[in-house]
Amino acid sequence: MMRERRGAILLAGVCLLALLLLVGLAEDHLPAPDLSLSNAGPGALPPFGADEKGRSLLAYAAQGASVAVIPAILAGLFVGGFGVIGGLLRALGWSRLDSWIQGISEVVGALPRMVVLLVVALILPEDQRGLLPIALTWGALATPGAMDEAAAVAERLGGARFVEALKAHGYSAARIYLYHIVVLNLRPVVVRQGAEVMMQVVFLEIAFSYLARVESYPSFTHPDSVSSWADLLYLGYPSLAFWEGTTAHALGLGLGLVAFVAVVALSTSHAARAR
Amino acid sequence: MRWWVRPLVRLVAALLLPVAVPAIITLLIWALPGDPASIICPPESCGGTEALAARWHLDEGPWGFFSQWMMGALSGDFGNSWRVLQGGSVAELLAEAAPNTVMLIGLALLPVILGAVGAASGLIPRKVDGPLYLIGLVPALVLALVVAAVVQLNFGAGSSDPEQLARLLGGALVLGFADGAFSGAVSGVRGLFESENRQRYVSIAILRGETPLSNTLPNVAAALAGQLRARTLHLLSGTVVVEVVLRINGLGDLLWGGALRQDFAVVLPVATGFALLSAFLLLVQALVEILASVHIRRSPSLSVVAP
Repeated sequence: MMRERRGAILLAGVCLLALLLLVGLAEDHLPAPDLSLSNAGPGALPPFGADEKGRSLLAYAAQGASVAVIPAILAGLFVGGFGVIGGLLRALGWSRLDSWIQGISEVVGALPRMVVLLVVALILPEDQRGLLPIALTWGALATPGAMDEAAAVAERLGGARFVEALKAHGYSAARIYLYHIVVLNLRPVVVRQGAEVMMQVVFLEIAFSYLARVESYPSFTHPDSVSSWADLLYLGYPSLAFWEGTTAHALGLGLGLVAFVAVVALSTSHAARAR
Repeated sequence: MRWWVRPLVRLVAALLLPVAVPAIITLLIWALPGDPASIICPPESCGGTEALAARWHLDEGPWGFFSQWMMGALSGDFGNSWRVLQGGSVAELLAEAAPNTVMLIGLALLPVILGAVGAASGLIPRKVDGPLYLIGLVPALVLALVVAAVVQLNFGAGSSDPEQLARLLGGALVLGFADGAFSGAVSGVRGLFESENRQRYVSIAILRGETPLSNTLPNVAAALAGQLRARTLHLLSGTVVVEVVLRINGLGDLLWGGALRQDFAVVLPVATGFALLSAFLLLVQALVEILASVHIRRSPSLSVVAP
């Protein structure tokens, strides 16, 4: 069990590092076209091959990471942070505030999230478009659920009575709230919630960019000059629909990146599981 | 908290939602920098901005615009599209799109409900939870692309009836399984019944020769209704991606087109349509909660026999 957990921590760390490394590789523009390398496979242009204009797919992957990774991590931290607050509120026994939060979560959760996101995307001025406001909106919509789940954990723990019991042992408030409640008990829930939101934000970015690309419109999530991982799926789609092998490597890379993000989320959640 | 507070909150939310959503969007239109008429029709690139503003009541301020729009909406007139189908009737666009979305959601709910029933009755064993969870990790976009490719390979890029049906069924399959819809329904319902089955009254009911399900169902009905509402909202969210990728003419596709082209005249009624669907779901949940609470609180009709 311990070895499995260490493996998950290592995997989560390595994957996150790889994503951040990819962000670091991102340049402002795609490299200049080189038609001699048109649709080159990974063998001809390592590590991932090239698009129809001979531009490296690594540049696409790096630019896509620069668009999605940081807002996704921030949204995950946002949700995790509010999850901690939800758990602590229940442990403090502030029932009135708790009821208010439940009421707000009912109202916030009453509409399909995509409708809210599209309205937010719609009102963003074109010069302020980017993934961060959309990611934070998604985070805000996911927050009530995270707070509720964390509060349920604190409730199962005994809520305010648990705190009183530890105080009777002479423990300091910092040790009770930060160590016993947050680190030992809320950690699995809030980390899982944060990791899921992080993954969802990346998937959302890919979906928004793909849908905009299909209709030849600029994406809500990034400037026109930057590519998204959705572009890889778009480039690779003909290989799926018409069984053309020329762009299969782009599709493989796009799907691989989607799977990679899922692995990051899963391993992070697994690493934070309770002992 | 008294038992009627939650259903009452839901009822109030259900009544307010269809009015609040267009009101908020109207306020947002006026919150954007620049006046709304110039946003739709920039004076430097399109003439007659003032005439357009007068036609769409944009020169009457947010309250004037909202009240005119609400009065029109109540009589079935949603005005004309600004950009998606310039000058076209939004009511006609909605009338074409809404049935497709309702059908798509109805079909997508089938696997979700079957999964919930399978989990409640024990037909779906716990050991399949892992594989189901992994399937649920696949994003709707990826699954929709695969289905779109399959439809394209089999039917080409036409718009015949069989192709549309294939797109609809494929879309329902994507919505029903992607983004954890099916796996969430299975694990959610199983968790609910497992925790309820641990209650003492269930053990006593079994000793009396009764089935656990008939005893637990009234107690979990409200939570089940809540889960079903959450799943349906999740499916409604997913319609945007599925309808655009699979070229299904539905509300999600219309909402996406409206948002992409900054067509508030389309976004406003479509978002209100989604709000109406959400309000209906809230009403159903409140009704189930009320019925379950009344059923649970009803005094048992036991005849007392003197020893």
